[in-house]
Amino acid sequence: MKQFEIPTKLNTLLFAMMGVGLLSLGLTYFVFDGELQERFWSNLLHNSIFFTVVAFMALFFYCCNIVALSGWYTQFKRLWEAYSLFLLPGLLLIAFVGLSGMLGWSHLYHWADPASVAEDKILEGKSPFLNYRWYFMATLLFGGIWYFISRRLRSLSVQEDLHGTMDYKYHRKMRVFAAFLLIFGGFTSAAAIWLWVMSVDAHWYSTLFAWYSCVSGLIAMVALTIMTLIYLKAKGYYQNVTLEHLHDLGKYMFAFSIFWTYMWFSQYMLIWYANVGEETVYFKERLDKYPVLFWGNLLINFVLPFLVLLRNDTKRKYGTLIFVSAMLVFGHWLDYFLMLKPGILHTTHALAGHSHDGHSATEHAHHAAEAVGGFAGPGFLELGTFIGFLGFFLFFSYRALRNANMEPKKDPYYEESLHHHV
Amino acid sequence: MSNTGTNIIYGLYDDETDLLAAVKEANSQHLEIMDVLSPFPVHGLDPLLGLSESRLHVAGFFFGLTGTLVAFLFMTWSLGFDWQVIYGGKPYWPVPSFIPITFELTVLFASVGMVVTFYTICGLGPGVENPIIDKRITDNKFCIAFDASHTNHEAVNNFFSSTGATEVNQKTI
Repeated sequence: MKQFEIPTKLNTLLFAMMGVGLLSLGLTYFVFDGELQERFWSNLLHNSIFFTVVAFMALFFYCCNIVALSGWYTQFKRLWEAYSLFLLPGLLLIAFVGLSGMLGWSHLYHWADPASVAEDKILEGKSPFLNYRWYFMATLLFGGIWYFISRRLRSLSVQEDLHGTMDYKYHRKMRVFAAFLLIFGGFTSAAAIWLWVMSVDAHWYSTLFAWYSCVSGLIAMVALTIMTLIYLKAKGYYQNVTLEHLHDLGKYMFAFSIFWTYMWFSQYMLIWYANVGEETVYFKERLDKYPVLFWGNLLINFVLPFLVLLRNDTKRKYGTLIFVSAMLVFGHWLDYFLMLKPGILHTTHALAGHSHDGHSATEHAHHAAEAVGGFAGPGFLELGTFIGFLGFFLFFSYRALRNANMEPKKDPYYEESLHHHV
Repeated sequence: MSNTGTNIIYGLYDDETDLLAAVKEANSQHLEIMDVLSPFPVHGLDPLLGLSESRLHVAGFFFGLTGTLVAFLFMTWSLGFDWQVIYGGKPYWPVPSFIPITFELTVLFASVGMVVTFYTICGLGPGVENPIIDKRITDNKFCIAFDASHTNHEAVNNFFSSTGATEVNQKTI
């Protein structure tokens, strides 16, 4: 197996994508933004969180497979290791957005505004958790431990390549770290998601929100894995990754899409049925102001993948797999858009109302916020930022892939992976 | 599937890899295999025997679709039109509350329908007697059976001894 080298064309493409991203962010910040720079910061937060969750889910899924002693994925496990290393830039970016809020450059979180907390009983009651101390603890401490584990797993797996003797010595060590992450990461990722995503609607909460949004990341991760594997196979790498492996990944994509819908619907139906005002506001806002995104989200992330991937043979064809994977990566990015943007727009309205006293304040705020694009739906700048982040994510993981053998030949499960058969 | 009076020659193998190699060998010698029996599903055996993929799941899809429609349309008719009830301040046609039941009936129809279809296709049911070639096939032995009246006995015996069958027997089932 030859060492991975990033093809020149791909390198150019990834740099072009990152250039588009930087250009979009710059244009957003300097030209097309509102008074509070809400479009720039919300785009930055949205994409950082999305790709960090993708990286985290790569780590989480990898750990699941290690603990379950499964061997089907072993050939391409370096890919998941590479994805999970993106935790470092992702978490730093989220922490940077948090820092910007603390320094008063950005105003994304309603709970971060002392004036709002002082006059709002609900925000005050939540302030022991919704504050920057916890925000940074989740991002830097919890996230730091996830990153540490991803580094440990990576270095153990590389050491195994050098000194391994086909026994379970390194695998046993990896299992300990993986088992720890499953428990620790399972709980802390929920807390992180509450702080990063759910708390933009600071009054609202949902108990299964963390699962729902993490499954989004998991599907996007599996979809990216499928597309990357097909690409790398076309470039002459991973020739032993067969349709059998892709079939299994396709099944995961299919099954988790249904699981995502299950979570989506459980959240929706309980809130719809109970009809409690402070809970329904979340869906009322989205149904009234974002009907296309709201139903489009279900169409892209459930109906289409369900109908396309239902048949056995569509999970064994590159065309359908690539089509569904690309759609799902974009679809779950859109899902995060819909989780974040309405709440941030609401915060912007509320804060703009504070800064201008007098009865024209709300009017002014509405005027200011409605003039800014990128909240009613993803515009060109949002898509450009997404492309930029996708380029960054892929560039980062391809570089990590380059720095080690592509296939872990000394892994005790390597042989099993070669003969994987569905 | 009662006793058919077919006279068979069968060989027993200890290992699935021996079995797969033997089936390949039989194909290359153009020996017509009547049946292969194994205690567990053997990967790669179906394509060697020329078995096409089961179409049971197509039936399953339509059973499921029937379940979806039955549940959804029945609730729509009964609660939305025939006997309108207001509960929980919801409209007469509360679609979200139909979804769980629609889902359950989809699963129920699909699974029960597939089981019934499977039993019907295979001719299984209460009172069916299965001819058992060898009891060890359900435990640790792999078996290739030939129809004795359609095959050259010498060729079959040579085939069994060259592919490492541990035992060769004849039997009427």
